[in-house]
Amino acid sequence: MASSNSRGTSPTSSACVIGPQTAVRGSLSGEEDLVIEGRVEGSVSLAGHLVVADSGEVEADLEIESIAVHGQVRGDITATRSITIERGAQVSGNVKAPRVIINDGAHFDGAVEMDVDLPEELRKAAR
Amino acid sequence: MANTVIGSTIVIDGEITGDEDLVVQGTVKGRVGLRQNIYVEESGILEANVETATITILGTVTGDVVASERAELKSNCRVVGDIHAPRILIADGASFKGNVDMDG
Amino acid sequence: MARQSQSTPADPATLIGPGIHVRGRVTGEEDLHIEGRLEGSIELTETVFVAPEGIVIATVQARDVVVSGVVVGNVTAEDSVTLNAGAKLVGDVTAPRVIVADGASFSGNVAMGGEPPPPRKRKNAARRAAPAKPAAKAVAKPAAKAAAKPAAKKAAKKAPAKKAPARVAAIPTPRAAKRDDDDTIVVKHAAVESASKKTSKKKTSKKAPPRARVPKPGKRRVGRR
Repeated sequence: MASSNSRGTSPTSSACVIGPQTAVRGSLSGEEDLVIEGRVEGSVSLAGHLVVADSGEVEADLEIESIAVHGQVRGDITATRSITIERGAQVSGNVKAPRVIINDGAHFDGAVEMDVDLPEELRKAAR
Repeated sequence: MANTVIGSTIVIDGEITGDEDLVVQGTVKGRVGLRQNIYVEESGILEANVETATITILGTVTGDVVASERAELKSNCRVVGDIHAPRILIADGASFKGNVDMDG
Repeated sequence: MARQSQSTPADPATLIGPGIHVRGRVTGEEDLHIEGRLEGSIELTETVFVAPEGIVIATVQARDVVVSGVVVGNVTAEDSVTLNAGAKLVGDVTAPRVIVADGASFSGNVAMGGEPPPPRKRKNAARRAAPAKPAAKAVAKPAAKAAAKPAAKKAAKKAPAKKAPARVAAIPTPRAAKRDDDDTIVVKHAAVESASKKTSKKKTSKKAPPRARVPKPGKRRVGRR
């Protein structure tokens, strides 16, 4: 499916897949890549790359290494590496990562928090 | 040309400072302090006190002008204010109201 | 690098050159390229380009905004805001299209409009806060509460910033706000609620699928940290 994203640890063929007809409610944790094509509610904590496919619906707070969203996410996302919000994706919540990429055609509402390395004098202005 | 250009529909209300040529086609109100050359084109309106090296005026200037080198008032320009510059050129057809001071 | 072709000024109508510093209000109906420095505000019916070396400390309003340099201030665009690689933006962004390229850094809220933020989580927070009625209000309006309190100077100082979460000034404020122990307890309460993820996650999952409305991003930030 939409697992073509090769950012970060790209989902290998062995990636765990939550299929389109599957719903998970609760907390999900793991140390491998995960593809969500179905529905997940609760929380996800993953030491790996998470792909929310076009059909994926996530209503959870996510703590992952990296993520590519093609589908829907409602919840806060914290990534240690990167967050990519692809065209057609719908994300609402606060996102925090060293790298956040929002593509044209993505819908995002929330706060973005990245480290912005401003010159000293501008840092004052930003406060 | 990598000049700074204030286009004809632009209005700046405030202060422009720097070390670069400035071309005014729009409106600048407030204060201009430059160490280079200012060109006020036909459409340009400068409602400001100006400090510069040289200024060439084809448009409208309202305010005092201090040029360290030269002030040039071209034909059809309209200037209201005092001009202080070692060299001042006023062309035929220029409209000017104010004092001229060419002392050092 | 990675500059959009349109951001390269071929023969820009209006250009603030690298040696120029403008302070004040800029309005107009044509593209504006900033390679120098501009402080104040920009209101334009066309596109604002902030070149890689450009620095803008201003509230920006335009049809499109393309940033390759530094912007500190809130940015509102009728059409799109694009942050190219290397861009740095601190402030809130409001536009139907917001594009953040890899290599851009950004801190602030994004509001793309469209459908309202989906229901989530807030229900828990509201339920929790319910016993203390005035407290619940404080969750909704921490600013008002803080301002009303004849609290320490510390709190009073912060109040103005909190009042306008949309402003740039407010962005770093939440950090400070969370230490405001003696101020609004409920704010803290809410913070605990959403900050201690494990608790809140379990709650979320056990209780009925959360359906309450989501707090505005800005407010959540305040509560969160």
